[in-house]
Amino acid sequence: MSVASCLKHPLLLRLRSVLAVLLALLLLGVVTRPLEAPAWQVVKAGQPEMNLQAIEGALGQGLVVGVLGGFRAIMADFLWIRTNTIWNRRDRVKLNAMVRLVTTIDPRSEFFWVNAARMVAYDVPHWRIDEEGGYALVPDRRQQVIVREQVEQACAMLERAREFHPQHAKLYLETAQIYLIRLKDYAQAAKWFLLASQQPDAPYYAARIHGELLRRQGKDAEAYAFLKQLYAELNDDPHAQKGVILDRIHELEVSLKVPIWTRFQSQVTGVGDSAGATLEQKVRMLEQGYGSE
Amino acid sequence: MSGLIDSISRVRLIAGNTFLEAVRQKFFNSLLLISVALVASSTFFQQFDFGTGELKFITDFGFGALFFFGSILSIAATTQLFFSEIENRTALTMLAKPIYKLEFLAGKFMGAHMLMLVFTSVLMLVLAGILYWRETVLMARLGQEFQDGRLIAYGDLFVFGLLQWMKFGVLSAIALFIASFSNTNLYTVVVSFFVLIICQLQYIARDAYSGMEQGAGQWFVGLLGLIFPNFQLFNVGDQLVFNVEHPLSVGTVWQVVGYGVIYAVAFVLLAQLNFRKREI
Repeated sequence: MSVASCLKHPLLLRLRSVLAVLLALLLLGVVTRPLEAPAWQVVKAGQPEMNLQAIEGALGQGLVVGVLGGFRAIMADFLWIRTNTIWNRRDRVKLNAMVRLVTTIDPRSEFFWVNAARMVAYDVPHWRIDEEGGYALVPDRRQQVIVREQVEQACAMLERAREFHPQHAKLYLETAQIYLIRLKDYAQAAKWFLLASQQPDAPYYAARIHGELLRRQGKDAEAYAFLKQLYAELNDDPHAQKGVILDRIHELEVSLKVPIWTRFQSQVTGVGDSAGATLEQKVRMLEQGYGSE
Repeated sequence: MSGLIDSISRVRLIAGNTFLEAVRQKFFNSLLLISVALVASSTFFQQFDFGTGELKFITDFGFGALFFFGSILSIAATTQLFFSEIENRTALTMLAKPIYKLEFLAGKFMGAHMLMLVFTSVLMLVLAGILYWRETVLMARLGQEFQDGRLIAYGDLFVFGLLQWMKFGVLSAIALFIASFSNTNLYTVVVSFFVLIICQLQYIARDAYSGMEQGAGQWFVGLLGLIFPNFQLFNVGDQLVFNVEHPLSVGTVWQVVGYGVIYAVAFVLLAQLNFRKREI
């Protein structure tokens, strides 16, 4: 068989056509890249699920966005109903899988993250202890290990949630509450309440609880400084409950034995209005304001 | 010049006939009906929603229906319209007249594309109507939440429709390109769906492996990214419709439209390369 006839073999001709098409598409890709690249940067920047650092997460999200598109919300909703059925059956292995699936399909809803973390941190430890014989039989140390494991799992889940919602106070608050309620870990809880209070949509109570947790750790001086700073920064919104903060400041001043003439002065007690008063009058007004020790 | 005008006139005639043939198809009508019913019933499905805002849910649902049924329709209708001419031998009659194969393909493409315009417009109108109704109800109930006016940019809803229509155009052109060398309807539909999935997902490979070390893998992914168009570029519904922090600029919209037009034209031209050698 000559070379010329070989080159005219139908298979080679087909291969040549395929290569020609691929080359044309490749050239097209190169030509359109200056048009596509800037637009793609803008489109990608607007969709947090397309900007995950972890490859696993990026692949999972990419597949979901690519395949389900706008239907992922309803798909996740139906799977969440299924998750609740599994939760009722106390099947923790399936629960973990379902929770992961739902949050992968639609990570945009805080509801899934928060409720899934609650199931993992608050309910699953009870199930595990029951599986091992119940509270009466399982030693305290083992119970603590189980609770800690579940708390870690829930916190890892909330950590993933914060990749999608880095500025949502609710997710920081949930971590803080899990540490506080489940582990009574005041140090960790205080840290997370502080982080929550620094988010744009933070409720006023997050910072107040941070101050209170500092006090419970015996860090009265730190709590005192924090609450004074907080009081000064808060606006007069009634929800901010500045009065409560002021009460706590006064309590701390008592426990810290802060000299009366260096105590925190606020507008609430009217002390701030006494600019023209003598030192003796100021002391008397302060005493009236705080009551006698 | 008159040759060009004649050519355009022939393409317009074929496109018009293709469009008429397509809108008479039961497949188109039933798919349109299902899509409209699904979008209209989104308020019912909202009962199963957890955590997402009502308007966001309805919008998502509408976009989902548009993507899902639109993709099916653009592939199936284009394939069906192309092969019906071949199987019924009407293509022979047509091409025996002074009609170039490119004109035939362009006419088929335009007809299918017009069909997708009708589909997209109807679905967008229904979605806009439902969103407007629900937003009005919500405004009456929660006036304080709407102090800055309506949340949804209705004009941009139709801009999103336009972008989806462009995407369906590229998809139709791809289906036409595959049909140009394929012998069966089924093969064309299946391969077109595979290509659609690759185009939807190619960005993941590109992004995920952009940081990997230089090597064969990165080269392969780079080539993949260049060969297949990036369909995620058209996935800008949230950025367009809701007043987010970084709304999409007009320039970006035009870039995406331009990208779609270039790919649609290119695939029709590639289809012509195959089709001109084809025995009918």
